Amino acid sequence: MTITRRTLMQSVLAAGAVLAAPSILRAQDKQAIRMIMGDIQIFDPVFTTSQNTFNHAMAVYDTLFALDADLVPQPQMVGNWSASDDKKAYTFELRDGLSWHDRTPVTAADCVASIRRWGQVEPSGQLLLKHAANIVATNDRTFVITLNEAVGSLTDILAKPLFMMREQDAKLPATEQVTTNIGSGPYKFNAELTRPGSRVVYDRNEQYVPRNEPSSGFAGAKIAKAEQVIWENISDPQTALAALQAGEVDFWAEPVADLFSVIESSDNLVLDTLGGNGSDWVVRMNFLQPPFNNVKMRQALLYLIDQKAFLSLMAPDEKFGRPVASTFGTGSPYSNDVNIEWFKEGGDLEKAKQLIAESGYAGEKVVILDPTDWRDGDVASQLFASVLQKAGINAELAPMTWSELAVRRGNKGPVEDGGWNFFITTFSDYEMRDPMATSLFVMNSEEAWYGWPQNDEFEVLRGKWPRTETKTERQALAREMQRIWWDYVPIVFLCQTKAPSARNKHLVDIISTPAPERAIWNMRKVEG
Amino acid sequence: MASYIYRRLFSAIAVMAMVGIFIFLLVRLAPGDPAVVMAGRNATEQIVNGIREHLGLNQPLPVQFIHWLSAMLHGDFGTSIFSGRPVFELLAQRLAPTVSLSVLTLALSVSVGVFFGILAAWRDGGFVDRLLTVFSAFGYSVPVFVIGYFLVYVLAISVAWLPVQGYAPMDEGVGDWFAHLILPTVALSLPFIAFVARVTRASMLEVLSEDYMRTAAAKGASSCAMLFHHALRNAGVPILTVIGISFAYLIGGVVLTETVFNIPGVGRLVVDAINNRDYPIIQSVLILTSGLYVLINLAVDLTYTLIDPRIRY
Repeated sequence: MTITRRTLMQSVLAAGAVLAAPSILRAQDKQAIRMIMGDIQIFDPVFTTSQNTFNHAMAVYDTLFALDADLVPQPQMVGNWSASDDKKAYTFELRDGLSWHDRTPVTAADCVASIRRWGQVEPSGQLLLKHAANIVATNDRTFVITLNEAVGSLTDILAKPLFMMREQDAKLPATEQVTTNIGSGPYKFNAELTRPGSRVVYDRNEQYVPRNEPSSGFAGAKIAKAEQVIWENISDPQTALAALQAGEVDFWAEPVADLFSVIESSDNLVLDTLGGNGSDWVVRMNFLQPPFNNVKMRQALLYLIDQKAFLSLMAPDEKFGRPVASTFGTGSPYSNDVNIEWFKEGGDLEKAKQLIAESGYAGEKVVILDPTDWRDGDVASQLFASVLQKAGINAELAPMTWSELAVRRGNKGPVEDGGWNFFITTFSDYEMRDPMATSLFVMNSEEAWYGWPQNDEFEVLRGKWPRTETKTERQALAREMQRIWWDYVPIVFLCQTKAPSARNKHLVDIISTPAPERAIWNMRKVEG
Repeated sequence: MASYIYRRLFSAIAVMAMVGIFIFLLVRLAPGDPAVVMAGRNATEQIVNGIREHLGLNQPLPVQFIHWLSAMLHGDFGTSIFSGRPVFELLAQRLAPTVSLSVLTLALSVSVGVFFGILAAWRDGGFVDRLLTVFSAFGYSVPVFVIGYFLVYVLAISVAWLPVQGYAPMDEGVGDWFAHLILPTVALSLPFIAFVARVTRASMLEVLSEDYMRTAAAKGASSCAMLFHHALRNAGVPILTVIGISFAYLIGGVVLTETVFNIPGVGRLVVDAINNRDYPIIQSVLILTSGLYVLINLAVDLTYTLIDPRIRY
């Protein structure tokens, strides 16, 4: 047989068609939704505060209450519930049809064990356990929480990411991981197809009974429309974009800013902001060491920081960022404008220099812990250092990985002994609505979060929070707390960013959540 | 020969023992703390300390070393700190993509590289030789990820002949498996093809100028017989050495290629483990890789005797 150029070309084209067939078939598979999500190394949402783990937990587990799009707690696994007149005894009844993925029924005892495990580590859970006289199941579907003293809105506390697990799982200590991944949520974890670090697969839970109310935030009907949802961990952004463009994946949770313009210019792709109010960028200082143990130095920081400058770096497109000034974030019922007028505009170098001089600052070295393996954190640290230097502060970056940073920030000593003055982190804006649950609000030195601030006046006000009953009372208390907060300056905001997601146009009905966490129910693929 | 093999195996065990101690110390003394990574960015000190205590990371280093060594000697690679699953199981899941990519890359690199090298030597100084020299310089100097992105753009996005990323197991269809591996294999092979081609060319040129090659030509041997029967066999030892050495470079290349093409192989497993300070995975992969490298070099040494009967141990 003679091989001519024509037969050779025909063979090459035929081989190309055969090899391309699998990817074409994959793109036409309407039953599975493929998403590029962050890596999940730990699957237990009580064990870690990682957002990726929370994303996983929302697919697999269900919650007693859930926040709707307006941050109002709504019953989820709970059917009927009631509170005694003195708000010290709450009775919760689980709704019909709840079952675990192993087909056993969800019981009140499971829920009690889950609350107790969560309460070992989560601040608002710790508050609940501290004030609870008893948490007990009275029958298979009913449990009662009896309090020594009122803790304000208990449903607010229960609407935290508090995921219900089977009793045998929830009996493990909070420092030991639950690895069974058996929940009662709309999707089941497919352990056989999952490859930790690479791919996580969820199958529709056919037994799941959604609520009748329409979906809103994390609340309402959770309808698993896709038969299977596959989360891919594609670490390289160029590869992720190429996979999205080629239709190999339908959704990319966190595209990098460099590629926003490419995504927006594509006919088939959409850039969405789904995560509520986004993330607040926070500078935390060390209150135990000079010079920022001096309140005038901290106030000088507020004059120095021009949030617009940080936004131009962190979120150049104004759709994806905005300034934040209220202690309680931008989107909560307690956000207010008390005591922010003096620093709101920022960038007042002269006023900052004056306060620095008044503080008696003598040029001591100031160390900023710089997480170089977290790109945005690194960029923000560098700009922050240059801002300090411009005001005559002897600022120095200490480059390190986030893991090293997280160890070093535990050092309470002076910088000469491996201590620190600043590090930058982010908090979900919606977390800032709750001074009992967010570690930044604690100001009792030893028990406070890294930096260890102490302000007794603020702590007295914070102690009143659980005992306030109405929203109006809380709003008044929030204004008073904010007045003290900005006089004392426990943090400095750099800006607020809302990381957008990218998707193919054929993926629709994605839930817009009040937090950066993603919900995977309801979404579906359409022809097009 | 047998005594040589025994000596080499004994020295391999000694090398592995030293590698084991070095790896343990390197991993443990590097900055970072898995408990911190596990707890999350905004975790409290109390949570981090609880996890550290639970994992036994507060124990003195010698105690941790003895625990690890004892488990390794019993064939127990330990459990991943993060996923809580046996390291052996995680490695087994990741082995097939990496072995597939490595084997295809070696096969392509050796076959094409040796062929190009022979061709260049045969046409020494001519157009083909100069063309292959340019190709070698290109293949050797352009990074894997640049080639990778280029191939993806042309063959996966523009004409959509091949998948952009990922891996399909062979049991789901050989066509799909092969389709997913074409681009990463080509991207990873280019520098190796260039390397093998350069060494083959140099080695062949040396052999082709030998007296016995002139004798073979005088006796009327065909070009094919001269090149492949007489010359290649005598030029084989340096080529084989280069292939052995290439294995170490291949490991580094595989890590990068697996990242660019999102292949869930051992390379990505170990990169993730290093980022997370997942000690059991890092230690196990490094020990296995070192052991494999030692064994491959032993195999290369032994193969010399097959190529060149004058070599005796």
